[in-house]
Amino acid sequence: MILIKCPYCGERDQSEFANGGEAHVVRPKNPESLSDKDWGEYVFYRNNPKGIFYERWVHSHGCKKWFNVVRNTSTDQILKVYKVNEKRPDLTEFENTLKSPSGEPSVGSGNFAVKK
Amino acid sequence: MTAINNECPYISKNKINFTFDGKNLPAYEGDTIASALLRNNIRLVGRSFKYHRPRGIYTCGIEEPNALVQILSEHNEPNTRATIKRVYDGMEISSQNRWPSLKFDLGAINNILSPIFSAGFYYKTFMGPKGFWKNIYEPLIRKSAGLGKPPKNFRSKSIHQYHNTDIVIIGGGLSGLITARKFVNTKYKVLLIEQDSFLGGILKNSNKVDSINGISPLEWIKETEELLSDSKNITILKNTLVTTYNFTNHLVALEDKYSGRKIDLKKSELTLHKIRTSLTILSNGHIERFISFRNNDLPGVMLASSFEKYIHRYGVIPESKPVIFTNNSSTFSLLKSMTSLGYKPEAYIDSRKKDEIETEIKKFLKNNNITSYFDSEVEGCDGNKKVEKITIRNGKNYFKLNSSMLCVSGGFNPDIHLFTQSKGLVKWDKLIASFKPDTSFQRTLTLGSVSGNYNFKKLCDEINQKLSFLKTKKANLEIKCNVTNKFSLRELWETKKKKNSNWSKSFIDLHNDVTINDLKQAITEGFDRIEHLKRYTTNSMGTDQGKISSINSLALVSKLLKKEIAEVGTTTYRPPYAPLSFAAIAGRSTYEFYDPERKTSIHSWHLENNAVFEDVGQWKRPWYFKANNDETMHQAVQRESKMLRQGAGILDGSTLGKIEIKGRDALEFMNLMYTNAFTKMKPMTSRYALMLGEDGMIKDDGIICKISDQHFIATTTSSGAPKVLADMEEYLQTEWPHLQVYLNSITEQFSTFNISGPKTRDIMARVFPHIDFSNEAFPFMTFKNFDYQDTKIRIMRASFTGELGYEIYIPPKYGLELWEKIFSCGKVFNLIPYGTETMHLLRAEKGYIVVGQETDGTVTPLDLNYNWMIGKNKKDFIGKRSLSRPDTARNDRKQLVGLLPINQSDMIEEGQHIVEINKLPNKIKNPIKYLGHVSSSYHSPNLNKSIGLAMIKGGNNLLGQRFFVTVSGNTKNIPVEIVNPVFIDPENKRLTS
Repeated sequence: MILIKCPYCGERDQSEFANGGEAHVVRPKNPESLSDKDWGEYVFYRNNPKGIFYERWVHSHGCKKWFNVVRNTSTDQILKVYKVNEKRPDLTEFENTLKSPSGEPSVGSGNFAVKK
Repeated sequence: MTAINNECPYISKNKINFTFDGKNLPAYEGDTIASALLRNNIRLVGRSFKYHRPRGIYTCGIEEPNALVQILSEHNEPNTRATIKRVYDGMEISSQNRWPSLKFDLGAINNILSPIFSAGFYYKTFMGPKGFWKNIYEPLIRKSAGLGKPPKNFRSKSIHQYHNTDIVIIGGGLSGLITARKFVNTKYKVLLIEQDSFLGGILKNSNKVDSINGISPLEWIKETEELLSDSKNITILKNTLVTTYNFTNHLVALEDKYSGRKIDLKKSELTLHKIRTSLTILSNGHIERFISFRNNDLPGVMLASSFEKYIHRYGVIPESKPVIFTNNSSTFSLLKSMTSLGYKPEAYIDSRKKDEIETEIKKFLKNNNITSYFDSEVEGCDGNKKVEKITIRNGKNYFKLNSSMLCVSGGFNPDIHLFTQSKGLVKWDKLIASFKPDTSFQRTLTLGSVSGNYNFKKLCDEINQKLSFLKTKKANLEIKCNVTNKFSLRELWETKKKKNSNWSKSFIDLHNDVTINDLKQAITEGFDRIEHLKRYTTNSMGTDQGKISSINSLALVSKLLKKEIAEVGTTTYRPPYAPLSFAAIAGRSTYEFYDPERKTSIHSWHLENNAVFEDVGQWKRPWYFKANNDETMHQAVQRESKMLRQGAGILDGSTLGKIEIKGRDALEFMNLMYTNAFTKMKPMTSRYALMLGEDGMIKDDGIICKISDQHFIATTTSSGAPKVLADMEEYLQTEWPHLQVYLNSITEQFSTFNISGPKTRDIMARVFPHIDFSNEAFPFMTFKNFDYQDTKIRIMRASFTGELGYEIYIPPKYGLELWEKIFSCGKVFNLIPYGTETMHLLRAEKGYIVVGQETDGTVTPLDLNYNWMIGKNKKDFIGKRSLSRPDTARNDRKQLVGLLPINQSDMIEEGQHIVEINKLPNKIKNPIKYLGHVSSSYHSPNLNKSIGLAMIKGGNNLLGQRFFVTVSGNTKNIPVEIVNPVFIDPENKRLTS
């Protein structure tokens, strides 16, 4: 259970929030002018990285506001929380953060609890 | 023989009585079940999981693998650890997994059959014949293998408590107390958690420490506890076990509030603490491990430090003349404890070479004249349901000793369970031959023996140094020890057997009956990864999680694989640290508190009128009304449906979701959210509308009332309301923040009644005499607001049954009164109440869909031939672009059609397949061509035949064709004809009459 800092209410338990998937996927302004492939990518395709991920959360059992979060999916650390109208933070901001809890490879998982 | 340590200060002298397997036994207040049984010289307490071998008490704490009992006096609570559960007067306990009795257990035949129950036996045996597994093997195995019996009734017995704190100290032993003292009267909010009912840990479990700052350990504990209790910033939780260490320093701990007391059925006996902290300090100590030798599971074998704990903590000397077998220096303190009480071990066996053993110990053994063997080991032990003879190997010589108890120490493992749950890294320490914490992943500190520091002299330095980043006082204690401070150990995991035999067993996991041979066999079979090996052999997968044995198995596996232990690695430690009952997790979320029940303002009337209820989301909705007690559901629904189409019926539709949409841009927003075009729609009219997902699939439907371009009211399905509102909010906040629109859920602000049937107009005219209900004044799909008493009501002309119908919206306060008024006016017109089942039947006759029944998230409006509902001229709405994707534009998608059985009395089942063949082969070899499925099916009382709706591939082009519907439990299919899905009034004459 992670702790999330709602930009409107402050730190709350994860159980008060709902995840909304990848952030910064903008709904196309003119869907009709898009090719089937481009539209299909907007509707069905999302990134699922192991590592730093820009995602949306909503304080569903609180103020019901949507906001954006930068989270490392490998360590579950929340690196930044910002409002929907705020600028997307640059990836370089998080260069010096922990990559994984136990030095695992960048893809896949496994039992690497023991340092060699 | 058992003896008593009368000097033990922790046990009160209040005598109590309890029963074990029906036998009445005495005990002292403060005893655990295990200490009380040992006090009564009872060593055999249970039977093992798989082989039904006799088992005794192995440890004195949470790590116990054997002594699990069933507490009959607590609703049959199974698998209770005898070593931590405290007895109280009148407690009734029984042993587990034995039949007919503990001493004579028929299941012990498994021990003789053990060669067929080796590692992974359940993957290899019991393969056939067909049906044997379900009917014979599984029931048999379930009966004979396993633990206690589940409690008969579920009982709500826990509450949850939340904490937000600065520092949590887990473990109130020596290092935990020293650490806690540093925080006395500081600005930090501290929670000290101890699993036992006493603080002090090792200080009260052994006599390793002689004095602290010149006073006895007991006095020091008392002084410290007073100090901590007086400090306002420190809270002490006793009898509380931390089971879980989650991300962002979130801890879960379970408190037993009735430890050693009879439970009060009216009160919660457990508290589940959910703790959020900024720093976690782990001082949860270490756990002793065993050594594998032949029959190392016989009752009478016990861990050495546990033996010592019984002496000091409970005042029981489990055996006055035990044999001690060790590979390290820690058992010195047990030797001292025994001799200081005037007892002498039968023998002391140390696997270390003579020059490896501390001179202090050798001198002590000599001075006290204790028989000792160095560079020796226990080959095995024998006896009938207890240890009788112990075989010792000294070099190449074997000899036997007589004793009924054997104390074993294979070294100590830092208790890294919680540390690894927190995702901290561990590393192998050669000195202690175990894993110890290395790098923390969260804000976690480990202090004392959990960090691998077994030296009391260095304890204060370690604590001061690790906590130096906090503003606290320096701990400066002079700890004087009784025993040597240096810890030395010689790695020993398994002793050599005199001869190999299938029947002799050296256990590596006592709880799950895993032997060293099982490990060897699994490795031979290719399971060389530790995680696979664990699952294949079930090693360390019992409720004790291999607390005394998992490191041993890693070491043995690494030897067998010829790898370093660090390379083999540990298996993943997962919460919980020790089992906790579901009731503890459930807390108050039980029975009626599990999920709230929502009731309409008419609920009491429904109850009085024999309504049978259906759950729709959280709502209780009348399903049908029984005219009399003998009426079946089918009869009631047929009656209601027929009477409505002839007279009139009324449905309580209050559960329907209602959302108010207001604001400057409400019209633009509605045009984007729904498929329909709202721009040209006149104010005070309404429209049936569909909401899609971006993928073009139907998500919800409802009626939209347009009051003005800035004000709409949307109704949703009863269970879909929260989701629709949340989706609308999401789009407003994330995609179209420039739109000025405000949403409000008004579901519970109105009671809603749907009245329909040919006589409805007459009834309405009587209820509301001042309102003109004529077709001209009040056409279909319009609504009006009226004053009613001192409130306002809204009446809309709409229908879901296909008959003339009105919907009345009224504040719930006035709901029941109006409902009753409608009935008194409607009596002469045979007005009936009807439920959701009749509603579904009537709408099926009319060919109306139900979202979630005809649709399943893969259905577009085009599939339902609802093209008329799509605002094609609108530039955009949610899902519009997807309707022209190649897949959604296909002609052979499943489309909505009606079904009529050729034989009118045939009933087709919902969910059945539509196929081309009239009979299924007895054995299906090739796939049968599938055309679609039946989505709704009813017997229509108005048409007097059965009807159905179905989703069929390319259904639009199949009208008039004949196919077959499968039947459950029968290979003969029902012939049907594909027809238009509207069975009644396709011209909408009734609707608009």
